Amino acid sequence: MSFLLSFHWGWLVGSLLLGLAMGWISVVQRGSGTSKVLARWLAVLVAVLVAVSLARVIPGRFGYWLDLGLTMFGCYLVGCTIGACLRDWVVSRSAPAA
Amino acid sequence: MQKLFRWASKWWPGLIPLAVMWGIAAWNNTLPLEADLSARSAAALKNTVLDKTRIAVAGRDVSFAAEAFSEEGRRDAVTAVETVPGVRLVDDLTRLVPEAKPFVWNAERDVVRVTLSGSAPLPGVKGRLVEVARKDLGGIEVADQMGLARGAPPRFENAAMLLLDQVGKLKDGKITVSDTSVSLSGMARELGGREAIAAALKNLPEGFSVATNDIKAPPYIFQAYKDPVAATVTLTGYVPDNTIHAAIATAAGRKFFGEKVVDNLKASIGAPASFGNSVVAALGALSRLSTGTLVVTDREVKLSGDALYEGAAADIRAGLGKDFPKTWQYKPEITVKPAAGPVDGTVCQQLFSELLTKGRIRFEPKRANIDPDSAGLLDHLIETALRCPNAMIEVAGHTDSDGEDSFNQALSEKRAQAVIDYLVKAGLPSDRFTAVGYGSTQPVAGNDTDEGKAQNRRIEFLVR
Repeated sequence: MSFLLSFHWGWLVGSLLLGLAMGWISVVQRGSGTSKVLARWLAVLVAVLVAVSLARVIPGRFGYWLDLGLTMFGCYLVGCTIGACLRDWVVSRSAPAA
Repeated sequence: MQKLFRWASKWWPGLIPLAVMWGIAAWNNTLPLEADLSARSAAALKNTVLDKTRIAVAGRDVSFAAEAFSEEGRRDAVTAVETVPGVRLVDDLTRLVPEAKPFVWNAERDVVRVTLSGSAPLPGVKGRLVEVARKDLGGIEVADQMGLARGAPPRFENAAMLLLDQVGKLKDGKITVSDTSVSLSGMARELGGREAIAAALKNLPEGFSVATNDIKAPPYIFQAYKDPVAATVTLTGYVPDNTIHAAIATAAGRKFFGEKVVDNLKASIGAPASFGNSVVAALGALSRLSTGTLVVTDREVKLSGDALYEGAAADIRAGLGKDFPKTWQYKPEITVKPAAGPVDGTVCQQLFSELLTKGRIRFEPKRANIDPDSAGLLDHLIETALRCPNAMIEVAGHTDSDGEDSFNQALSEKRAQAVIDYLVKAGLPSDRFTAVGYGSTQPVAGNDTDEGKAQNRRIEFLVR
């Protein structure tokens, strides 16, 4: 994992920034998101992929690409969470004043 | 937490650019990542001893094939690759180098190169053997056909190094190590080389033994060439030691009365038994030829040339074999020199005088037995006598003044008669010769010195 982080740090920072932006937007965005059912299925899919990756079932380049994708996805999620929390904090601080 | 889920349901649009980034990242990084892992895996194996190492990287998975020289080495190598940071899986295709039974190593030398073949225990040993062969064998081409195998006996490298040193002493041949037994065949480069190799083999490392040693010594050659034009006899080749060298040189000086002896002999060990006596006998035969070559190769004597007359040729062909040990081979190629034209008595006398000035007919001390060393001179005298068939010849014997006159008188007569007997035996008619003894009555030099006495002891041929 540390090797993946150090070798691809540029791409991972990019994913993180993308997540930050997406999280920032998501707090104030109107309209419906993914349905709960779909979200669950997606969560299951991600869990399965993580399991497959940890079990090192897929060999060669596909295995590497899966690891890379999941790591980037992880960074994206972290970015999203931080972005959303930051935006929420900014919004809640400015609301009473408004 | 509720809020987080609500926000999260709106994060999906970002997945689209994320997927694009993923694709680009995968596209750009796969080959550099594989190259990086490959290089670092190879670096991790730098201190391991392996053969036929092959590393192939797909993604983060390494396919590692190699031949190791021990189970421990094999495991260590796999672990080394597994612990390279970033390597996810190692496909272990390693195996042990096959074991050779028996463990055979060869060094073969021919005219142009040395070929090393068979098995070496480790790549390092293999490299060192080739390097030492190149360095020690004086620039001769070294062909490396060695493979690698397990199962070498202990101290194999020491043994192989010692044997490589012996290859340098061979003209051609082969040295084989099979487990711990050593076999050698071929021919040594120089006289004494065979003995030097045998001595060196005593230093083989413990456990090794010599199974067969068929190294042959190079032929022991002695040559003599009698050149009547330059009036020289050239001796070349080898003699066993200085004593025999001196004996041969002295004998040559006595036998070749009219020729200068050019001595180019070198002392060397390896002579066959009875070498000195046989060579002296062969030189006696050569001295009877007008021109000729004597080659003694180990136990084979080749004598070729022209005898002075038919009887001498037959005598040399038949007689010489007796002087050699039974195991020796004698190959005479004797022809007869074309007879010189007849001359009258005066010329004959001149020729006799010339011959007897150059050399003297020798006898055993105080006796009338002709010394075999005088055979060459007598042949020349006979050849001359054959050129003037009508001349009557007086053979006169003289002695020095030592001893009683009556004894000297009798001795001179007997010696003159002995010479006539020799001539008659060679085929000359006995009625052409008269034996006369003068004792010490006609000295040609003073009898007060050894030199003078030697000059006075003589046989003279007088044409009447």
